Amino acid sequence: MMNPNVELSVMEAVAQFFLYAMAAVFAENAVLFRALGVSRLIKLVNDPEVRTWQYCIPVIFVQLISAPLGWFAQNWIYPFFVRVLPIWFQPAALRPIIFVSCSLIAMGIVWCLTGFSKSKDAYREQLPAATFNCLVLGTLLIAANQNYTLLQSIAFGLGSGIGYLLAVLVVDEGRRRLRSKDVPGIFRGLPSSLIYIGILSLAIYGLLGSGNML
Amino acid sequence: MAENENRKPRKKRGKASTLKEHAGTVIIPQISPEMLEEARRAAAAGKTQEQIEQEAREAARREEEARRAAKARAAASAHPAAKPAPKRGKTRAEAQAELARSVHDDHLWLNNPVMVRGLGLAPVVVAATSGQTALMLCAAMALLLTGTRMLAVAVCHLTHNRYRGAIYTYAAAILYIPVYLILYNIFGADLAQLGIYLPLLVVEPAIIKRMESDELETVGDAFRRGINNTLGLCLSVFLVGCLREVLAKGTVFDHTVLNVAPLPLADQPAAGFILVGLIAAVWTAIGNAYVRYKLEEVRHLYDEPKR
Repeated sequence: MMNPNVELSVMEAVAQFFLYAMAAVFAENAVLFRALGVSRLIKLVNDPEVRTWQYCIPVIFVQLISAPLGWFAQNWIYPFFVRVLPIWFQPAALRPIIFVSCSLIAMGIVWCLTGFSKSKDAYREQLPAATFNCLVLGTLLIAANQNYTLLQSIAFGLGSGIGYLLAVLVVDEGRRRLRSKDVPGIFRGLPSSLIYIGILSLAIYGLLGSGNML
Repeated sequence: MAENENRKPRKKRGKASTLKEHAGTVIIPQISPEMLEEARRAAAAGKTQEQIEQEAREAARREEEARRAAKARAAASAHPAAKPAPKRGKTRAEAQAELARSVHDDHLWLNNPVMVRGLGLAPVVVAATSGQTALMLCAAMALLLTGTRMLAVAVCHLTHNRYRGAIYTYAAAILYIPVYLILYNIFGADLAQLGIYLPLLVVEPAIIKRMESDELETVGDAFRRGINNTLGLCLSVFLVGCLREVLAKGTVFDHTVLNVAPLPLADQPAAGFILVGLIAAVWTAIGNAYVRYKLEEVRHLYDEPKR
């Protein structure tokens, strides 16, 4: 029999996890709210050789695994460098290399995990692109800047990955409809995709108002 | 047989040669009085008829060449922008391939990384909201892009082009350390205006896109292409940054240009997407019109090879 206080704290943690994950999927969608990974998204929806799941599933797993590593790096490794480095050296210069290393470790773990899948070659082919992109590093940097807890970081990382998948599906559907002949020639391709993402982003802006993207 | 061979050239010389033989004197039609005088002097010097004819022909040829050169000079001075005549040996397909190559290599306009290829959109859409932030982004990209590409290519030559993703990203992350220190010394705390979009440059496709290519370029090519890409990126970032500042605040580098802010929403990501989309539409329309014009020009200048 669990203690009621412990049970309540577990429920609170689950609720918090769900809340942060949902916020990352919809309200703070990485693509529509912060334009993270949008260059890759546009290439992905135009590339007939790469399937959406082939790229997005590795992204979700890399996000999920790199989130706790990023939290650990921000709370343990980064302060160590701040203490050790000379006063003239800006420790912020080291943040990319620290977080990229977290992504690289996550990539190694996902590479091993994909060995259990039947489509391991398809996943592994896209793994470098799914690891070294603005979405993964951006999520780690945001979680560090906002001082998220371990649980919040994991929820935010997972939610960002799922939010990215959602954005890819929405933009893919939009692209399919934008192939209409009614669209003027000069807007076909990149311009229409950007304007379409802009209108979706405007909807989120209308919902939330001006937020801190940086 | 030998006699026939001697006769044939004489027949080819035509009426003029026949007249010369019959008159017994050297008469060369369509020559100037100076040349005639020269021929007379040569005859007086005891030269044979063949030698005199040869010299006269040489002189006529020289004069004709001089006349042609003078005409070409006059035409060039009358039309200074006139294009040189196309090379005789080039076919239309080769000329079209050359045009395609030059379009591909033009990263400033026709194959701009941001407006045509859709790279580097995250910092352009979110962080380039004013002239000042655009300037900081340009400085960071200029310091980071070419160096990253050269360093990564050099390392890829050592690893036989394997582990490109990690190599390109770590090259950018290592170079980011001195770049950040330089930028901090120049811009100080203003650098915080870029937020996460400054460290994000180390994984920005505009900088590490080359990792997706199987072809390993030389360090020299990496330098040349890196500079081209940097120029194209900086042009787009600067254009978008200044335009958004004008629309959102009516200023450029905090100097008032308009007394009203025509579109206060312009500094938000949503408006950034739409604005970049509209600029990209105009950009590609002008670029495509230019390429169509050049293709038409190639079609007119170079004939199809006859079969």
